[in-house]
Amino acid sequence: MKTFKKIILAIIVIAFTSCVDVVDVEVQDGPTRLVVEASLNWEKETAGNEQTIRLSESSPFFSTDTVTEVTGASVVVTNDTSGDEFVFADQGNGEYLSTTFEPVLGQSYSLRIEHNGEVYTASETMTPVTDITDIFQKREEGFNDEELEVHIVFTDPEEEGNNYLFKFQREGDLLPGLEVGEDRFLNGNEIDWWYEIEEDEDENIEPFQPGDILQIEMYGISRPYYDYIKILVEQLGGTSLFDSTPVAVKGNCINETNPENYAFGYFRLTQVVKASYTFVEE
Amino acid sequence: MNRRSQLGPVTKSTVWLLWFFLLGCALAMGQNSYTVSGTITDKSNGETLFGASVLLAGTSIGGITNEYGFYSITAPAGEYTLRITYMGYNEVQMKINLVQDLKNDVEVSEFSTELDEVVVTADEPERALLGKPEMSVVKMNMGTVKQMPVVLGEVDVLKSLQMLPGVTNNGEGTGGFHVRGGAQDQNLVLLDEAIIYNTSHMFGFFSVFNADAIKDVKLYKGGIPARFGGRVSSVLDIRQKDGNNKNFALTGGIGLISSRLTAEGPLFGDKGSFLVAGRRSYVDLLLKAAGEDNSVSFYDLNLKTNYAINANNRLFLSGYFGRDAFKLGNSFDSSYGNASGNLRWNHIFNDRLFSNLSAIWSRYDYDLEFAQDEFEWVSSITNYNLKYDFKYYLSDAFSLDFGANGIYYDFDPGEVNPTADTSPVNPLKLDQKRALESGIYINAEHKLTPSLTLQYGMRYSAFSRLGGQPISEYANDQPVVYNSLLGIYERGEVIGEKEYAKNETIETFGNLEPRVSLAYLLNEDSSIKAGYSRTAQYIHLLSNTSSVTPLDVWTPSGPFIKPQLSNQYAVGYFRNFLDKAYSLEVETYYKTVDNRIDYIDGSDLIGQNTIETEILNGEMRAYGLELLLRKNEGDFTGWIAYTLSKSEQRTLGGNAGGPGINDGDWYNSAFDRTHDVSVSGAYQLNDQWSFGTNLVFQTGRPVTYPNGQYVYEGLSIASYAPRNSDRLPAYHRMDVSVNYKPRKYQNKRFKGEWVLSIYNLYNRKNAASISFGQNLETGANQATRTAIFGIVPSLTYNFKF
Repeated sequence: MKTFKKIILAIIVIAFTSCVDVVDVEVQDGPTRLVVEASLNWEKETAGNEQTIRLSESSPFFSTDTVTEVTGASVVVTNDTSGDEFVFADQGNGEYLSTTFEPVLGQSYSLRIEHNGEVYTASETMTPVTDITDIFQKREEGFNDEELEVHIVFTDPEEEGNNYLFKFQREGDLLPGLEVGEDRFLNGNEIDWWYEIEEDEDENIEPFQPGDILQIEMYGISRPYYDYIKILVEQLGGTSLFDSTPVAVKGNCINETNPENYAFGYFRLTQVVKASYTFVEE
Repeated sequence: MNRRSQLGPVTKSTVWLLWFFLLGCALAMGQNSYTVSGTITDKSNGETLFGASVLLAGTSIGGITNEYGFYSITAPAGEYTLRITYMGYNEVQMKINLVQDLKNDVEVSEFSTELDEVVVTADEPERALLGKPEMSVVKMNMGTVKQMPVVLGEVDVLKSLQMLPGVTNNGEGTGGFHVRGGAQDQNLVLLDEAIIYNTSHMFGFFSVFNADAIKDVKLYKGGIPARFGGRVSSVLDIRQKDGNNKNFALTGGIGLISSRLTAEGPLFGDKGSFLVAGRRSYVDLLLKAAGEDNSVSFYDLNLKTNYAINANNRLFLSGYFGRDAFKLGNSFDSSYGNASGNLRWNHIFNDRLFSNLSAIWSRYDYDLEFAQDEFEWVSSITNYNLKYDFKYYLSDAFSLDFGANGIYYDFDPGEVNPTADTSPVNPLKLDQKRALESGIYINAEHKLTPSLTLQYGMRYSAFSRLGGQPISEYANDQPVVYNSLLGIYERGEVIGEKEYAKNETIETFGNLEPRVSLAYLLNEDSSIKAGYSRTAQYIHLLSNTSSVTPLDVWTPSGPFIKPQLSNQYAVGYFRNFLDKAYSLEVETYYKTVDNRIDYIDGSDLIGQNTIETEILNGEMRAYGLELLLRKNEGDFTGWIAYTLSKSEQRTLGGNAGGPGINDGDWYNSAFDRTHDVSVSGAYQLNDQWSFGTNLVFQTGRPVTYPNGQYVYEGLSIASYAPRNSDRLPAYHRMDVSVNYKPRKYQNKRFKGEWVLSIYNLYNRKNAASISFGQNLETGANQATRTAIFGIVPSLTYNFKF
């Protein structure tokens, strides 16, 4: 349905004299919070023992200062069944590293962070992902039938309840593109997922060209994480008249000491398949 | 009648009996008094006139014509002068000798048309109605609507209404309208009595009402008469023209966006007439000519015909059919629209008892076709409505309205059909829902003394959610559960499903809705009025977006969604001054709405079969002060409207637990506008040239801006402030228009007119929305404003012959 909203906007822009420009706006300053980027991504066919957790602080919306990294915290992940603990060592730059992590599909894990005398906890299950069976390019599909788009083909597993996160990073681009999917209307089918980049002259973005190299990551994600990342992705790039009222998205990291002071971010455990695609001349 | 309120939910048959008893009593009264009754019509085309004032000169006895132009006045025997006045028409005075009941149909002529044998004494303009307890009502003359400057030359009833106090919209390019801080779905929009579910074309740029086919527009912002029910905020009652029964006429216009053509004329000799009006946009044709694959278009068709069987019986058949289509390349195709039909039978039992029976059908549907993904999505709402209304003029001081109606609804919230075997999408059909809404009402207008008139009535409404679908059952009966650990609302756990057979009722609601108002004349030129009304609304539009879209779906009340209930209190002061050249209307109101649904963070309404897992029941409150100063006479006419208001909502956790949405705090509804000033003026220079202008200033719409950012997945993520705690910049603009009627046409049957309109003269970029995100090149956060209309000049040519 994101598609539909884009279409409405596109038509409004086409049909009318509407105008889009960057303006100065004053915004409120919310509380500073701990940001937990605890994404334990297990690439298929690898051991998955090396994992990084990043801690930082949120900042005012228009602040352009560098991100405040959080150091000196204690970060531990526990296998809820075996009780095995994996200590993530402080690297002094906001990163916390473990080289001994043991990923198990379907296993639930807990995260415990101690920072500034407050304890944050979260728990989550390692979620599997299916394989990508084909990647190809086309021009005539997508929003714009004259620009290149990439197609990723995979078969959704039989049982319902599979959710996906896609991350696309074109070499040379500053920002990645994120998309989320669920199998609610598509369960058990072969799915052709396409991704296209729309031209943006103001921000110097070009559609895909032959020779462009695209890194593709497809993650299997849990339903709670889907509910979380879906709002986050929908709010990326702003919300229009035809989008839901934007909200402060709450993740799964609970502040045990002071619940009001919850953390941004998420503790997720996902299996991921990665691929690279180079666009070619047709 | 007052006793009914103590009876509680009475059965229909009892009430009918009560009414017939009342009627019987009434018929026995009134000796030595006689009744003059009839129909007031426009001399030039035979259109009946609604709201014309009929008065016995020198007395306080009089009345106002109903929707079908009918009036009935009862007075002691004697000689009188009957005075008929209607805004924009010449006044008619005629002597009558009331020594027996009289049937007296009168034709009146518009100002500019040639005069006749009737005595013309004064022009009757739009002015404050002092003695009638009717308040919070806006009646718009189609002449006024057509004179106002408009965007892209499309005359728009809904946009004109927004120039009056208490009526706003959600910004340019959004559909519908908001009345006194109410939501869009709280307006009952009727076109020839048929419910119109979506009032806009092209996502809200234009309204579905073709001004050439419309006779009257009346908006009840409060004090909704007992004969209306089903919405808590307002009733917009739009009546189509009946069609010229004197001679054949063609009216049309050629504009930038669309063209219109209306044909009307007599039928069956002088016993009937017809009207067919069509309008079509041609942006799509221009886009196609420009080699563009994308397209957007709309059209509508209005039909009306009537036939007078005899003096006491008349049949009307009316219809509306409108549709929008849009297309994006080869990948996406969509269309949506309203359709309605109404067959009416006007029957005059006797000179004091008027009745109308209507059988009405209406439907709204949309379909989306995703060619690439090989599936289509369809959704619709259909209703069948039978209503029988009576107006009984008991005496010069007492009249009664009463009647009953029943509406059967069929909701088809959504269906997904793969269009090819290779489609990745599975077929899906959301549960079809059915419901029956019924109402009975009685209302009296009672003149207690020459200066005090009361209106009091009661409506009893009932709503049955019918079976034929399963209803999910949730653990602890909680479709939404508060997760106190994470501080978020989540979907409840389904533990079972109960299947209801078609002949079963899932849930029934009933509400007594008292409606009371009074008017007290302070002197000949001023009055005060006060009113209270209670209204119930049983169907709800599901929309969690900032602006309602054509794809939002209606849903009935049921086990999880309760009917919205509203109480509204209003007090007003009304005054005509400077020899009635000016009028002033001041009103203040306070209203509350219970059971207003609100959406949990991250709610997903698309293809959602269990809506109850996405919503909580909340409440709304709104209050305000409205001022309307009008100059009604002379070459220069117009008004200044000012509204000071507040509209808020709050949703507590209730059964779901937790603090509620937005931490259970009151927050500004999206329809809150602190200040709203509209100035509209028209100047008639001479027969050829006239000018119009609009000035609008409004506090910005409440919106939600970010209050922080953080880095996640290599992106800067915006975190947002509490709901609607920020505002867009103030909205303001000025429009002008020039009308030119070439002299060569003036004495001919063919009449032409050029209208040059400039919308947003000083080209202000009013923000329709401001969105926040990262610049893709630099990565810095930025705010992006979308402004829909800059300065928009347009030229339209209208003709008539």
